[in-house]
Amino acid sequence: MDEPGELAVVEHAPGARVVAATPTALARGVEAGQGVAGALAVAPSLHLRERDPALEAATLEEFAAWAAQFTPCVSIDPPDTLVLETSASLRLFGGVTGLVRRIRAGLVPLGLNAAIAAAPTPLAARWLARTHPGRQIRGTAGWRCQLDEFPVELLGDGAEVARATLDLLYGIGARRIGDVARLPRDGLARRQAGVVLDTLARARGERPDPRRWFIPPERFEARLALPASILHTEPLLFAAGRLFSGLSAWLAARHAALDRCCLCLEHEDRPDTVLEIVTGTPGRDDGRLLMLAREHLAALALPAPVEALRLSADNPVSTPGRTPDLFGDPDSARDSAALLLDRLRARLGRDAVRTVHPVSEHRPERAWRLAEPGRLVPRDVPPAAGPRPLWLMREPRALDSIRALTLLNGPERIESGWWDGTDVRRDYYVARAPDAALWWVFELQDPPGGWYVHGYFG
Amino acid sequence: MSALAQATLAALPPGLVWQADRLAQPAEAGIATGFAALDAQLPGGGWPRNALIELLSDSPGIGEIGLLLPVLRTLPAERWIVWITPPHLPYAPALAAAGVPLERLLLLEAASHAETLWATRQALISGGSSAVLAWLARADTAALRRLQLAAESSATPLFLFRPASAARQPSPASLRLRLSARDDGLVLDILKRRGPGLAAPLRLPLPQRPGPRRAPVFNDALVRPDPVRPAAAGIHARRG
Repeated sequence: MDEPGELAVVEHAPGARVVAATPTALARGVEAGQGVAGALAVAPSLHLRERDPALEAATLEEFAAWAAQFTPCVSIDPPDTLVLETSASLRLFGGVTGLVRRIRAGLVPLGLNAAIAAAPTPLAARWLARTHPGRQIRGTAGWRCQLDEFPVELLGDGAEVARATLDLLYGIGARRIGDVARLPRDGLARRQAGVVLDTLARARGERPDPRRWFIPPERFEARLALPASILHTEPLLFAAGRLFSGLSAWLAARHAALDRCCLCLEHEDRPDTVLEIVTGTPGRDDGRLLMLAREHLAALALPAPVEALRLSADNPVSTPGRTPDLFGDPDSARDSAALLLDRLRARLGRDAVRTVHPVSEHRPERAWRLAEPGRLVPRDVPPAAGPRPLWLMREPRALDSIRALTLLNGPERIESGWWDGTDVRRDYYVARAPDAALWWVFELQDPPGGWYVHGYFG
Repeated sequence: MSALAQATLAALPPGLVWQADRLAQPAEAGIATGFAALDAQLPGGGWPRNALIELLSDSPGIGEIGLLLPVLRTLPAERWIVWITPPHLPYAPALAAAGVPLERLLLLEAASHAETLWATRQALISGGSSAVLAWLARADTAALRRLQLAAESSATPLFLFRPASAARQPSPASLRLRLSARDDGLVLDILKRRGPGLAAPLRLPLPQRPGPRRAPVFNDALVRPDPVRPAAAGIHARRG
């Protein structure tokens, strides 16, 4: 978008109306509920975007998965509300104020904004978030009186009170919820307004209000359509960071970690570019995944502009929570070592980051092999019969003569390998070169003659 | 210098002022090199813990790794010992026999000079390595300066192997040694250190070096002095 500041979401169902707008657009005079023509009249440069209920539902679900890190009892209250039952986890997060602060801070990387309120019942909390976002009602003795001040329209929000019933209540002069509560109960019940009483009872906590708790999905799948096609790494990473934050929250909610995920870059008319991001050890740190994605993207030449990003992951492994240590994290050294390995592998390639292990074998060029770093070294390899150099040459180098060399030590006959067709018969010596360097040289016995350097005693 | 000035200097906290005619006393002791004669000549009594150390030599096989073996054996576990683009293959049987923990060894190959420098810097600043050994064919002063800063900020020693011709090039390294070999061991020429110049090169005997002529070892069925002729002689003798 060339001008991201002025944007409005419009709905076409009962005539084109603005549903929501960005702060800059609101400052220009655009209002929710306004007709599109009127909005365009006050803000000619306004960008209009069609409302997408499916996207809204998906966002709410992602938000629910994210919020499950604070409490296991998260419930989606359509169309736009999330209810968190936090009484059990308040102490952990430092009370309602601390919890609200953490939720707000965590929403920033997700690019979401929320009106948050806390109250003893779900309905009261929902109404409070509508009318006085940022406030909380404590469960003290007279808390129900605070409900009485809410406008009566709220009865239709989050409950099945019909529009006609609300009109009826308004018509008989009830403006506040307190007015409704003071009406005679049997009269209300006779006028099919029993649901009003039920709603009031649930909001006041006099009747149970059971909720269906949200269960995070088994598989993480998130897609982010980019506002414009992008060919540069930095904006892509910025957008990917949003997906990784969601992934990290999904993992936190499941108390799980994973060691691989898949980032797909969707192009307009080409097959997707797929980045397989593999970490050495399971983790749920989005910063680390983002850093690895950066290395992958840096090594990649994008074939075409990217239209959308898709992040998918499954098979998380469950990890026990880690208690913060009073005396610093004892695992930090191991963590940074694992991070270094991941980072080097992502940039240089898996084959360029290896270690060497000894192999029980007489032929020197086969007495070692490349191995994955960090693997246990085999302990059952017997020590070599003679001196072995610290450097081995990949290919033995032929010597014209050994006149300049002084043979110090040897010979050590190595004869082996007749069974696999690469048999060797060599006499090895430690030799001193003119510059006093020590070489590992051998004389070929089969066929006889010919001297070679095979290593250096570094 | 007057006696008063001497006394004033002596009263200052160690590490604040370095007098060029004596070895600097860094705040943190170095890592013991495993050679008492070398420790005595290094500021801090060992390899500096957070510095670029240049080891200049031309030919392999003079004991350049043998010099570091005591350090490699004693480095703490849980972090990597990173070898970046070594000129030859580090030979696992010899390293294992010398007690180098191969579990902690990380062997890097890089496709280009830029990647080598990148990998060296990453290995230093990540805090995930206990020592970094790198072989650089060429390096300009700016690159060396960056590596020195990375080593300083992460408290990881970087042993940089460079050709002997690099001795002419100025370097920000806090310690530069030129390595050469004599018949009986390694000769160290300390080109730069935080202290006075050294009058004569240092000679270090390396215990791991194979010594002169010993009786050949034959303790394996497949490693024999000459398996053909004695056997053939035996068969002929029986026939005769």
